[in-house]
Amino acid sequence: MTAERFARSSRKYAALALASARRALAERSVLAGRAIFLGVILFIFARVWETVLAQGALQVAGAGKPELIWYLAVTEWCLLSVPHVYLAIEADVRSGDIACRLVRPVSYVGAQLAEALGETGLRLLVLGPIGAAIAYALAGGWPDDPRGLWLALPLGVLSSTLAVFSTAAIGLSAFWIVDTSPIYWIWQKLAFVLGGLLLPLELFPDWLRALARFSPFPAMLWGPGRMAFGFAPGAALTTLVELLAWGTVVAVGLAWLSRFARARLTVGGG
Amino acid sequence: MPPALALEHLRKTFRVPERAHGLAGSLRALFARRTREVIAVDDLSFAIAPGERVAFVGPNGAGKSTTLKILSGILQPSAGHVRVLGLDPGRERTRLAYRIGVVFGQRSQLWSHLPAADTFDLLARIYELEPAEYRRRRDELVASFEIERVIEQPVRQLSLGERMRCELVSSLLHRPEILFLDEPTIGLDVVAKATIRDLLLERGRVDGCTILLTSHDTGDMEGVCERVLVIHHGRLLLDRSLDRLRKGFIAKKRVSVVTEEAELRIDLPGVRRLPGASHRTELEVDLDVIGVERVVAAIVAGARVLDLSVEDPPMEEIVSAIYAGAARAELRA
Repeated sequence: MTAERFARSSRKYAALALASARRALAERSVLAGRAIFLGVILFIFARVWETVLAQGALQVAGAGKPELIWYLAVTEWCLLSVPHVYLAIEADVRSGDIACRLVRPVSYVGAQLAEALGETGLRLLVLGPIGAAIAYALAGGWPDDPRGLWLALPLGVLSSTLAVFSTAAIGLSAFWIVDTSPIYWIWQKLAFVLGGLLLPLELFPDWLRALARFSPFPAMLWGPGRMAFGFAPGAALTTLVELLAWGTVVAVGLAWLSRFARARLTVGGG
Repeated sequence: MPPALALEHLRKTFRVPERAHGLAGSLRALFARRTREVIAVDDLSFAIAPGERVAFVGPNGAGKSTTLKILSGILQPSAGHVRVLGLDPGRERTRLAYRIGVVFGQRSQLWSHLPAADTFDLLARIYELEPAEYRRRRDELVASFEIERVIEQPVRQLSLGERMRCELVSSLLHRPEILFLDEPTIGLDVVAKATIRDLLLERGRVDGCTILLTSHDTGDMEGVCERVLVIHHGRLLLDRSLDRLRKGFIAKKRVSVVTEEAELRIDLPGVRRLPGASHRTELEVDLDVIGVERVVAAIVAGARVLDLSVEDPPMEEIVSAIYAGAARAELRA
């Protein structure tokens, strides 16, 4: 692909992403729902950590209540910013609307990713400050070394991107199994547990932590989240490399799935 | 001049699962799924010249939409050759997409949450249109389709007729050389249908684009097209110009007469009286039995005629006659 061709192609997908971000901005109720959910989760866990730490029952890598609340704020920010792209793909496959999408001079999967990433970007921008404000209020201030939060920002963006790619791959499974929600359910629960969405991996037994390292989830959630525990450029770099590596693996898998999905396409009609 | 599109011995089959009966059958199907082959298109060949406006008609399940999807690169054929504007749609879908427009009457290509104007802007990016040329084209189409008042509203708030006009504009923005239309007037009221047909006819003439239109509504083919392809069970049944189709398959005429007398008295062989009204008589003339000029002469001789018209039967009846003929031929075979 020539540089000019690449630039022209990028402009198309950027336009799709921008249109999607505009729509997400217009859907204020969806954004409000996610923000409220973020607030409720942070409030509940702030109380939990307060009780647990007051009893001295747990030590988490030297982190106190503020760090643990900020950890949760970062991991939830990453995950709540991801739209349900798998449902959009499943709906297109089920309804046959995919036929309409295929008549445009863009890749179907590329367009879905662009639209999902546009929405993700907007949600990251909106939920970031909201989550930070709630976390600040509940934690009573910044974490011990707030510089780590700056490192969490690019990692969070990459984390959400990886989640978009992964859930798009789940959506493509609709070509085989039609109903993708069971697969998404499993993926989501694995992300919760192996990624350390609510509890940092430091609290996990060794065997589970070792198992989790074979999956993309620690890089996706624990990696950005633990930046709340302190300024750790080395750990951030490791997470960055892991996110890029897993992103490549998932992107290759997505391209492979996309090719087979196209072959299975039997849009209804006659 | 090479054809705008040509297909030779096109065949498309699908494998569809066979539903097992009962719980035991469903459980067995989990381990041994049975499928059967459905032939959607079977040995279909035809070519369309640039600028032609062709109707592609047939009953449900005849293979019309499947053929359209193969021609637009959405589906791959199981066998046969397809060339659209010199390209292989299955292999060169993206290149072809820049040169064709597709409208599915039962599905929307517009972003439902966006105003149509924003969709047009987005499509301009997707089709890589030069901004000034795009604005000229958009303004021309928006004026032609009279959608100035609605393009700032989100598409989901538009009526079906308004949405279909926007769909057509979005499919014409990039000046496609071929326009594929799958049931473009489905669900529309009589006025909206007539408007869409007029607009399609106008665009076909102004832009010179080739039109291939599928429809169950014979009004669409009469209003827009000059040639008709009739397909049945995935096979081409008939390929005629609209005029020849009328002449070849019309065995009857309709005569409408308005007379000063409340009732017209006429009793001729081959002439059947249809429901009419006082002073107005509707007659169906069987041309195999009697010439229409003899009927007209008898009417004029027997009454003071205020108005008289001779018409072909509606296109629905003609197409039904074609299907019925095919069915009889199948039964004989």
